[in-house]
Amino acid sequence: MAHQIMGQKELKEQVQDAGLCTGCGACINLCPYQVFYHDRTIVLNPCDIKAGRCYAFCPRTPVDLQALHAHFFQESDLTPEIGPVKAFFIVRAADAEQRKQAQHGGTVSALMSLALQEGMIDTAIVAENQERFLHAGVAVQQPMEIWERGKSKFIVSPTVAEFNRAARSDAERIGVVATPCQAFALAKMRLKPELSSGDNPIDKLKLVIGLFCGFTLSWAKLLDLLHKKTGLDAITGMDVPPGKDVLEIYTEEGVLVFPMEDVQACIREACRYCIDTTAEYADLSVGSARLSGNWEESRSWNQVIVRTDVGMALMALARNSGTLEFHDVPTGNLEMLKKAAWEKKRTALKNLVEKSGSADDLIYLDARDRLLADLKY
Amino acid sequence: MSKLLEVREGSCHLLMGNEAIARGALEAGINVAAAYPGTPSSEILENLAQVAKVRNLYVEWSTNEKVAMEVAAAASFAGLRSLCVMKQNGVNVASDFMLHLAGSGTRGGMVLVTCDDPGALSSVNEGESRHFARMIEVPLLEPGDFQEAKDMTRWAFELSEELRTLIMLRSVTRMSHASGNISMGKLQDQLRRAEFRYDGFILDPNEGPVLSAPVAYKHGLQQGKIEKARELFEQSPFNTYEGPEKPELLIITSSACTLYSREAIHLLNLGGRVGLLKLGTTWPLPPNLLKKYLTLTGTILIVEEVLPFLEENVKIIAAETAKEIGIKTFYGKNDGTIPMTGELSPDLVVSALSRILEIPYAAIDPAYEKKAQAAAFFKAPQRGLAFCPGCPHRASYWNIRNALTLDDRQGFVCGDIGCYTLDIFPGGANTLKTLHAMGSGTGVASGFGQLSPFGLDKPVMAVCGDSTFFHAAMPALVNAIHHRANITVVILDNSGTAMTGFQSHPGLCINAMGQEAPKVDIAKICAAMGAKVAVCDPFDLPETQKTLNRLMEDEVGVKVLILNQKCGLSPEKKAVKKYDVHVDENLCIGEDCGCNRLCTRIFRCPALLWDKEKEKARVDDVLCAGCGVCTGICPQAAIVKEVA
Amino acid sequence: MIVKKFKLPSDPYNIIITGVGGQGNVMASRVLSNMLVNRGFMITIGETFGASQRGGAVMSHIRVSSKGTWSPQIPKGKADVIIALEPIEAIRVLAAYGHPGVFVLANTRPVYPVGVITGELNYPSREEIKLSLQELSAQLWLIDATDQAIGLGNPILTNIIMIGAFAKLGKLPILLDDFIKVMEQTLTGDKLEINLKAFTLGMEALET
Ligand SMILES: Cc1cc2nc3c(=O)[nH]c(=O)nc-3n(C[C@H](O)[C@H](O)[C@H](O)COP(=O)(O)OP(=O)(O)OC[C@H]3O[C@@H](n4cnc5c(N)ncnc54)[C@H](O)[C@@H]3O)c2cc1C
Ligand code: SF4
Ligand code: SF4
Repeated sequence: MAHQIMGQKELKEQVQDAGLCTGCGACINLCPYQVFYHDRTIVLNPCDIKAGRCYAFCPRTPVDLQALHAHFFQESDLTPEIGPVKAFFIVRAADAEQRKQAQHGGTVSALMSLALQEGMIDTAIVAENQERFLHAGVAVQQPMEIWERGKSKFIVSPTVAEFNRAARSDAERIGVVATPCQAFALAKMRLKPELSSGDNPIDKLKLVIGLFCGFTLSWAKLLDLLHKKTGLDAITGMDVPPGKDVLEIYTEEGVLVFPMEDVQACIREACRYCIDTTAEYADLSVGSARLSGNWEESRSWNQVIVRTDVGMALMALARNSGTLEFHDVPTGNLEMLKKAAWEKKRTALKNLVEKSGSADDLIYLDARDRLLADLKY
Repeated sequence: MSKLLEVREGSCHLLMGNEAIARGALEAGINVAAAYPGTPSSEILENLAQVAKVRNLYVEWSTNEKVAMEVAAAASFAGLRSLCVMKQNGVNVASDFMLHLAGSGTRGGMVLVTCDDPGALSSVNEGESRHFARMIEVPLLEPGDFQEAKDMTRWAFELSEELRTLIMLRSVTRMSHASGNISMGKLQDQLRRAEFRYDGFILDPNEGPVLSAPVAYKHGLQQGKIEKARELFEQSPFNTYEGPEKPELLIITSSACTLYSREAIHLLNLGGRVGLLKLGTTWPLPPNLLKKYLTLTGTILIVEEVLPFLEENVKIIAAETAKEIGIKTFYGKNDGTIPMTGELSPDLVVSALSRILEIPYAAIDPAYEKKAQAAAFFKAPQRGLAFCPGCPHRASYWNIRNALTLDDRQGFVCGDIGCYTLDIFPGGANTLKTLHAMGSGTGVASGFGQLSPFGLDKPVMAVCGDSTFFHAAMPALVNAIHHRANITVVILDNSGTAMTGFQSHPGLCINAMGQEAPKVDIAKICAAMGAKVAVCDPFDLPETQKTLNRLMEDEVGVKVLILNQKCGLSPEKKAVKKYDVHVDENLCIGEDCGCNRLCTRIFRCPALLWDKEKEKARVDDVLCAGCGVCTGICPQAAIVKEVA
Repeated sequence: MIVKKFKLPSDPYNIIITGVGGQGNVMASRVLSNMLVNRGFMITIGETFGASQRGGAVMSHIRVSSKGTWSPQIPKGKADVIIALEPIEAIRVLAAYGHPGVFVLANTRPVYPVGVITGELNYPSREEIKLSLQELSAQLWLIDATDQAIGLGNPILTNIIMIGAFAKLGKLPILLDDFIKVMEQTLTGDKLEINLKAFTLGMEALET
């Protein structure tokens, strides 16, 4: 199931114009033609190269899932719903002060900081909130800088674009915080090292910490939703508390609550076609925890799926150094997660079929793929 | 020393048509000259400005053609001789004043020289100014060669004083920008004193106020002047006939077409069969003279550029005198013998003659022609117009296009006249979507800026040059601001009227005569009008593009971005290269993914070349102006600049 | 050589100077024409400039006559000599104004059109240009004028080198002295010196 690599024109037609662009940034900073503006990928100038890296790396161009799995994971770890699982934990950053700077338990920030401190990586790529609630990926070298950039950004922040830039700089060992689409793009890059020109910058990628992800919002549509209820620069954060069916927007003046049915309209179109909730192609993936129904208690904890040996090693370090606090995993927790992830996959496939108009045409996915066979759509 | 100052009468010099006109004005002893630059007219005032000091003239580049005519008229009202100069479309701008001036009449001799551009060699229109003479009722002269260009100009001032009206002298590109031997006349010293009398009786042409009212009375006077001109023109030495006494065919022509017609007669060896009536006074036409020559033959060919102006007026006379002269067969524009658009040439007249007289003619041996055409087709790739190396407009449009693309709402640009019009050509960024008169970019944008209630949701931008800003964009900008149009106006300030050869304008601290002048600050004007103003250097690509995007996203009112950078051909810049620029071949990745020749494929500076053999970009040292802008676009930083 | 009653090879004798905006085409035609005016000829020059200065082709038509003024546009197929400051411009001009008897002097240095720079159009090789020009002319001289001008310190002298070469051709009675006389009116010192050098280089280029 080898897929032909095409060029910028096809990328634009098949992905950007088709509403499939995730804004991951994998096609950015490779050349002067593809650029990121606000939360969109823009073709700044036409390029006529027949087979380009932009097309090759994009997580929404046709892909052979089986080849990816075979390349990255052990068959025995694989689950159909949430990809490979080597271990599953409920944890949080041990330092309560630091946790205040984080979205939930601060696990992501703590692990990235640890990787930096231990020399596992020398550069961490995280998301930064900039003017007018627009975000960018930035490369940092100090743990403090990681904590300053904590919290989830619900508008895409192209960390892979920043990886592309940093990988062509002095950085040697790079760790990236990635949403599922971003982790997926990085996996595609790793699968095709021959496309990274010169010194194979993709070899510099040493760690991928994935974020669980339900959806991202379109910046322009979020503006409509806010409709002058608050200024963009006043927003300090947001979250989708599990089970509540609302989007909470935190501002200096208080919390704005929007019912999910209003928020639905603001979701980035590409997210409707995403089959990954748990960032299956990361070394380990982190989401919010669900502890016995109490959100105020749960929100300061994370659940972590460890997927690779690199992930296992980092968790071991975290335990031994006391960086993370560990919580018992309540029974049924993993099953709940799998169920939710399964649901997202099914919906995505349904949406893809609806878009293509044919059950055999899953656009960027292959309907013959064994990994999709169980998903009745 | 300027040739225009030659004092030896009868000495022979090679002068350009425009120089000849300027010399004619000096021989007439003018005191004041005012113009707005425009190809092909600009050299007239430029040459006068050069001798202004020696010849004791006042010479100015006015802000626009209407003002130029007003300035010149004031000199006439004060009894001095004055000249105003413009290109064809400038007459449209001046015509409002011209209409009133025809009514009020003039005092000191006043001449309007208009240089038309048949074929639009350097215009975005091929307007005909001759119709203004008939419409506004002023006499019209058209020189038929370079000597006449000079002599007729001198005479025009006398005629103006005799008739007390403005005289229009019309040249064309092939007269103004062509050169020939000219025998000089006497330079006249002007000893006149400026005096404006206005206390006399209201209808007194010498002592009363200068008014176009009472209208019916003044209009009647004006028509009387035309009547008198008609009589004078019957005897004019500028209307000449050459050819046999009884020609088979009579060509009636004027201006540069005289030279084409004469050459065509020569090429076909028709000297004994075809007569050539060359008219120098083309409005009002002298009817008796025409009657005389129309009587010679039954077949008439009228050769002129661009519209059938002579043709129609001659036909009226032919119709009115049909009983005496008989029925004629006319060939010309109306029947398609001569093309209705574009400029003429000896060959077009040859083909008209050979068709009418059925004489076969092949300019080039067919076998040779076939070979030569094939060589040109395969070996001489078309030369598209492009911004010069070092041109600030390339950088400005690079920013504009990038900003529009990033903005991603299908924004577009309304443009007007100047070098920046070249954006529409292959060397440009192709962002201009409307292109009209001076200042029209801003005016049209002002209109587009009102259309969002009707569903137009694309961002609207206008571009305008610095000289154009003063010429006609200011009223449009006021309009946009007052009516809260949501537009972004980009002023491409390259410190001069670059298109036409660096004439000064009010935004500079120097005037036409080279004297120091107060600079009128564009940014301050815009701010005072109420626009949100930003200023950038277009060579600072990231900053300019960011500013443009910010302005475009601000949806309230008029935003103005002034892009300051001197023209690459400006005298200051032309002499010095700021940077030595070259390509580091080890860094250039050429057509590989990651660059794919951004510099030569997209940026397109004529000095950046693609070396096919080496597969590397290369800077042509001879062409490179050393602006260094390309170093900022190369993704590999392979284009390197060093301070020269 | 003293030229008393020089008989023109044809009257009018038609010269086209062609090139690209910025190459000093207009200056070349002025200098050449002034030399001829001083020799007592009637000259008509027709020039195409303006917007065409910006990367476009530029042409000057010079008509040399002992009789009078001619059309500022040379009729099709009637050029006697073509002086090209840019090689492919010679080909373009030949297609409209050439005939088997025309002489061509062409500078060899290309100025690439935008379309060639972008890769959409092809620029012929030196050899191809030479073949075409030879095929379409009675005699051809290819001169590395720009390279020589760079050697003199300023590529803009290309035009003067080409005029020098044309003078040497001997079709019209113009010599170094005529050139000096014209140039002295506007230039002095080093500037005059370097122009004379360029003119002489041009004359020599035709000898070899
Ligand atoms: C758009 C989005 C949707 C999410 N949806 C879910 C969900 O449905 N269920 C769930 O359990 N968890 C979801 N998460 C994950 C969750 O919000 C937390 O990020 C996660 O629990 C880790 O918490 P933490 O306290 O360890 O994070 P922190 O310690 O605060 O660290 C978060 C890290 O992620 C980086 N980051 C933030 N936003 C982005 C982004 N958009 N792209 C790349 N990097 C980013 C930050 O720079 C920071 O380094 C989502 C996250 C995002 C960004
Ligand atoms: S093919 Fe390569 S150079 Fe072209 S747009 Fe894609 S990444 Fe850029
Ligand atoms: S999904 Fe990512 S790689 Fe694909 S077009 Fe969008 S930003 Fe580029």
